Amino acid sequence: MLTIETQEENGHTILRLTGEVDASNSVILDEAITKVVADGSSSILVDGAGLEYISSAGLGVFMSYLEDFQEKEIDLKIYSLSERVYEVFKILGLDQLMHIYPNKKTALES
Amino acid sequence: MIKLPQIHIGKLSLLLAILVWLGLLFVNLVRLVGVLNEMDSGIAIEFTWILQILYFITVYSFYKYSINKSTQSDFLNLIWRGASTGIFAVTVYLIIGFFYTSLGESKLAGDPFLKTFFYHVRFGLMTVFLISTSLLWQHLILYQKTKRVVKQWQAYEIALLVAMFLVFFDREAYEYSFYFGMVLLGILAVILSTNLKWIPYLTFKEKWKSLLFLAIIILAISYMLWYTVSVDMEYDYLANLMGNLFVISLFWFILVYAVLSFLVTLFNLPTSSVFEQKLTEAINFQRLSQSIQPEENEEQVLDILMDSCMSAAYADAAWLAMKSEEFPEGFFQERFIDRKTREEISALIEPQKTIRDWESEKRPDNLSPINLRIAHSKYESILLVPLVINKSVIGKIVLCKEVRDGFNKEMLNIISTFGRQACIAVENHRLLNQAILNERYQEELKIAQRVQKSLLPTQLDHNEYFDICAFSNAADEVGGDYYDTYKLDENRFVLIIGDVSGKGTSAAFHMSQMKGIFQSLIQLNLSPSEFMIKANAALSKCLERNHFITASIFIINTAKQTICHSRAGHVPTLIHKKKLNKSEYLEIDGLGLGILRNKQYENHVVERTFTYQPGDVLVLFTDGIVEAKNNNSNQFGYERVRTLLEVYNELNPQEIQTKIIDSLHDFVGGDRLIDDDYSMMVVKFTKQNKAS
Repeated sequence: MLTIETQEENGHTILRLTGEVDASNSVILDEAITKVVADGSSSILVDGAGLEYISSAGLGVFMSYLEDFQEKEIDLKIYSLSERVYEVFKILGLDQLMHIYPNKKTALES
Repeated sequence: MIKLPQIHIGKLSLLLAILVWLGLLFVNLVRLVGVLNEMDSGIAIEFTWILQILYFITVYSFYKYSINKSTQSDFLNLIWRGASTGIFAVTVYLIIGFFYTSLGESKLAGDPFLKTFFYHVRFGLMTVFLISTSLLWQHLILYQKTKRVVKQWQAYEIALLVAMFLVFFDREAYEYSFYFGMVLLGILAVILSTNLKWIPYLTFKEKWKSLLFLAIIILAISYMLWYTVSVDMEYDYLANLMGNLFVISLFWFILVYAVLSFLVTLFNLPTSSVFEQKLTEAINFQRLSQSIQPEENEEQVLDILMDSCMSAAYADAAWLAMKSEEFPEGFFQERFIDRKTREEISALIEPQKTIRDWESEKRPDNLSPINLRIAHSKYESILLVPLVINKSVIGKIVLCKEVRDGFNKEMLNIISTFGRQACIAVENHRLLNQAILNERYQEELKIAQRVQKSLLPTQLDHNEYFDICAFSNAADEVGGDYYDTYKLDENRFVLIIGDVSGKGTSAAFHMSQMKGIFQSLIQLNLSPSEFMIKANAALSKCLERNHFITASIFIINTAKQTICHSRAGHVPTLIHKKKLNKSEYLEIDGLGLGILRNKQYENHVVERTFTYQPGDVLVLFTDGIVEAKNNNSNQFGYERVRTLLEVYNELNPQEIQTKIIDSLHDFVGGDRLIDDDYSMMVVKFTKQNKAS
């Protein structure tokens, strides 16, 4: 189960993820990000507070945008990840490539 | 053993019948000689009776056999047999009559011997006609057998048999017993004659033919009856062959049944087309309901449907329009109508409200045919038959008639039934095809599973300084987990464990790529970090954009007792250190393969070398183990694996692996499945290498 809420806030687009991202619903996440980009947002904030689990397929979605966003100079920041989920990002090494912050405040300040 | 020649009942009884008839003739002629010469011939009258009964029985058995033998004979053939026998018998009667007429007043005309001879000929022919025709009637009566009718027929046969022998008791005296028997047999014959169920099965043409044949039979029997009563009874023959109760009863039976059949057939003539129509409908229905064979296609069913609907409605023209993916424009089949007329009519019916409702989404669930009047120059009434599968309209049949209000309620009923039946047949056909396709996919997946199993090593390379075991389980038929070993030289061994992102078939393909990359790169004698860099470069070219592979690689040197290790985003490897009696995860940075597909990847690869001691244990696994969840959504987690190793590190690798996997299953719960691929490799260093 995954629900994604999209919200505009001071020029940032906030994607609020709730539930689990796995192979069966990673497409939804992918579509949500694609849509935000297509709508012209250049700063995407992903609120991971409600994210209980992310599988490798879910990580694959974030990963697939890395180069693309670098080229287009789109900021993608993830914050408020639970320890368990952050661990998954960290083990894969994505913490070195993506901007992951403990909370919204630090994410906005950086 | 002596093999008896097979007795041919037909021929035998024919032969016997002829012999018995000759015997009868001879006996009666001899008696005639006796009477004429006024001397006792010494032949009792019973002798004649016995021969007469024997003749009846032999003729009966001959016809019984010959009619039963020709089983394929239909009603018309049966009646024709009766009619032809009648014609033959009457012809012989007439020839005999002409013969006597030509003799005129000559002496020969009054000759009693000749008269007796011809009397016997007529008796023989009449018996043949009566018995054969009554047996034909039996076939017709018993066409639709019920227990009651069969019992009645048996009773009639027994009564006839008794009637044959009656002559021995009343000695041709025509007493009450004779009249009683006659009435009884007469009533039985009438009761049996009400069984005329074969008539409706005749087609219109066949009915006309059977009327003709029945008329012939009636004429023949009437003529014989008249001749017997008016000619033969007048002359006092010595032995009265014709006045037998058996013969009289048969006369009555054949006449009654023939007359009744004639009348019923005649009155059935006007309605026979309805019956024929119903029969065709039933056959069409049966054709439609036979599910389509896999090698056939839907068009054949639709073809039958079109034919059935058109014949049921007496439609003048029709077309079929199918919505199908292959033909976005619509698939059309036209019958007795050209494209132009079809489009004209379509244009006329489409604006009508019922049709628009019908086409729209909010149509009723149970669609029935729609009957319409149109103002077209040729066709005045239209019937629209929807074809519905799974509540969605797959097409329609449009039937056109040149008369106004040409479709009645019965037609609508039968046509909507045809439509539903055809839809069921088409749906079954589609489902069957799908099932076959699924079956094939299953088969393909089984092959993939077998191929993938063979990608994992059955023999793990090692030497006497360490023991090793490994195991992998896929959530689906195929999975994305990978492990392998490679022997670099006597003392150096490579272990690898990997996990492709996602699961299922796509993961399985990438896993096989990983195997290829490992097996080729490792031969280049690369260090773990060099291997990862080259593997990343290679995978960057072939992985889908959102896929990556995590891997851990170990190069074990048993001579130096060192392990060189690099990790590419894979879950950390657990090590038990015997000396410290402690299990811990190897902490080392690293980035999954295929995430950074450029030179920058090199900055993220770390390599570390450390020493090991005998008794140390390495446990490599994939995230399926630590991420396995129980009913409360708790993960198995790293800590549980670590604790298990601390407890069971004294055991051999196979036992350690079994302990961990059993514990994992206990945690997840017996009937709950782990919905990710999971794999494990356990290495235990056994003894000190003296060289080191």
